[in-house]
Amino acid sequence: MLKVRFHGRGGQGAKIASRVLGTAAFLEGYYAQDFPLYGAERRGAPIAAFTRISKEPILERGVISEPDVIVVMDETLLDDPLANPLSGLGKEGLVFINTTHKAEDIKKRYRIDANVLTLDITKISLDILGKPILSALAGGAASKIVRLKETSLKEAVTRELSDITHEKGLIEKNIEASIYCFNALPSVLIKSNASHKKSDVITMPFEAADISSPSVTIPANTPLKKTGNWRIFKPVWDYELCTKCMTCVMRCPDGCIRVNEEGFPYSDYENCKGCMICAEECPAKAIRKEREVHAW
Amino acid sequence: MLGKMTKQMLTGNASIAWGVRLSDVDYIPAYPVTPQTEIIESLSKWIREGQMDAGFVTMDSEHSMITAAGAASATGVRVFTATSSQGLMYGFEMLYTVSGWRVPFVMANVSRGLSSPITLEPDHNDILAARDTGFLQIHCETCQEALDSILIAYRLAEDKSVLLPAIVNMDGFYLSFTREPVEIPNKEIVREFLPPYKPTHAFFRASQPMAQGVAVLGGHIYSYFKYQMHMANNNALSIYKEVSEEFKETFGRGYGTVEGYMLDDAEYVLIMSNSFSAMGKAAVKRAREKGLRIGLLRLRLLRPFPEEDIREALKGRKASAVIDQNISVGKGGILYSEIAGVLYNEKQRPLLLSFIGGLGGKNISDAEFDFIFDAMMNAYSTGNVPQPALLYTEAELEEMERLKRVAGKG
Repeated sequence: MLKVRFHGRGGQGAKIASRVLGTAAFLEGYYAQDFPLYGAERRGAPIAAFTRISKEPILERGVISEPDVIVVMDETLLDDPLANPLSGLGKEGLVFINTTHKAEDIKKRYRIDANVLTLDITKISLDILGKPILSALAGGAASKIVRLKETSLKEAVTRELSDITHEKGLIEKNIEASIYCFNALPSVLIKSNASHKKSDVITMPFEAADISSPSVTIPANTPLKKTGNWRIFKPVWDYELCTKCMTCVMRCPDGCIRVNEEGFPYSDYENCKGCMICAEECPAKAIRKEREVHAW
Repeated sequence: MLGKMTKQMLTGNASIAWGVRLSDVDYIPAYPVTPQTEIIESLSKWIREGQMDAGFVTMDSEHSMITAAGAASATGVRVFTATSSQGLMYGFEMLYTVSGWRVPFVMANVSRGLSSPITLEPDHNDILAARDTGFLQIHCETCQEALDSILIAYRLAEDKSVLLPAIVNMDGFYLSFTREPVEIPNKEIVREFLPPYKPTHAFFRASQPMAQGVAVLGGHIYSYFKYQMHMANNNALSIYKEVSEEFKETFGRGYGTVEGYMLDDAEYVLIMSNSFSAMGKAAVKRAREKGLRIGLLRLRLLRPFPEEDIREALKGRKASAVIDQNISVGKGGILYSEIAGVLYNEKQRPLLLSFIGGLGGKNISDAEFDFIFDAMMNAYSTGNVPQPALLYTEAELEEMERLKRVAGKG
């Protein structure tokens, strides 16, 4: 069995990517299973999705803790200790990372022993689709890595996207983007990571409720969680055009837009998630959208 | 040692109210429901007259009421609330939620059969529906026991190794509205037995932010919290024994996790709970007069379930019969299943018979008790255990025939 785990942010398309891969494998006659795991369905929050592909009936369910292939659709997740996208990766495993960096630089920076492939699929999606929706692209990358056929991928993208859009042109563009990613990557021979890490069954030690009640007693730590790295675009104000109408300040769902001494709005980029509602709402069209690359 | 105590004729509801008054409760969220309302009426009257110093708030529903009880308890004060039957069902979601907060308030449930058809008289489907929620459960036979159990419940719930809410259960009508002599303990002595609650983990304060009952994602995290609740609930078993021993020394009345009646040399054991146990005791006494070696085991502490005490009380007997005053529709008696589970690995286990009786407060007559005794003895002599059965008499069925005709069905 081959186990693939996708990591993305809510809204990026990790769930559909896992389905594209699942359907492509299914179309080639394999047993396949796909499954997403997310919390309170919050856009931008880390999510994971899983695809299992096998020649035998699949007798596993749920989370894949020891994947053969990991697809990281947003490289900022590599720094997120909660998402922990590289967990359970063996030396024989392979990681695909959506990044502007080269594989050897990524390996060095994140101390990855396993094989690494990189491709800036965000750029490809912006070029072809005009927006950073990566489902068909990540599905295409994964299909190539696990050595499925281009024809199955094409059909899988069509089937999966037909469930969520009727826009024929959009589906065509997704197929194009998906095939582009498919062809941009090498096909890799992956050894299935069959080793299962053993952890012994223990007897649960008792702890009194001052420890074992589901409570958090340290002061509020939400401000420590910076959400600025969720951005793909950042809003940039042109103060020549800005009329100080404050619409952007009111429309920002996260309260990230403040006003400087001269009365012009500016963004708290440490927390701005790049939703671009401010730019959409600006009556003076004074806010432009700038592609952002999270360089280190 | 016993100090000055007074005895009065009290209903079960008044007994519970007295237990709450003596416990120096700080806050009472309330919502009326028959047959419990007299409890909160008594408390509100005492608060209005200045005989009790507590906050009393009437809520919009039991759902809000149980939430308020849990939230108030999370500020670190002592909380009481009461409900019954449909009310317990309406607040049901919050039973699990607040017990997960690990807050040690006490709630009285006055048992009443569940709709439909709607009724007012008691059976235990309401309280046993709450058996898996995390709440401790003490089930009472007498009005005195109801008062005493409130004091014991706070001690148990507030123990550092437990910290879970507790329900004290008594039967509607048969205790709630029934008066009998009850000794009201001296308040100073109660305070020694039950000192003020000093929270160590749940104490919301202004300008001191903390989060309680936070969300978790991941089964290993959820499992940890759930199993800790289970262990804490089980800790209440040994704590219960200490507390009830101390209660006996202080007040002269002792309550085991289970109560044995004429049990020592009994070959056959009738198993019951709550107020109908009194009728079971009378039946056992009559059988003894006829020379039959029959005893009664009354279940008092239902959560945690005192498996060891039940096993010890039943092993080596010839046969036992559970009267379940409840019905798990499609399965049968709830306590029968629980006791069967306790006995399964006991080598000297008795035969175990199952009867459903007293649903909606239906009387259990001498003839029905005799029927059970005969069935136990017959099962032992033949080795054939009869199928679970409903206790129901010919006269009762004839009355049903009459009612069916009245309803246009016959």
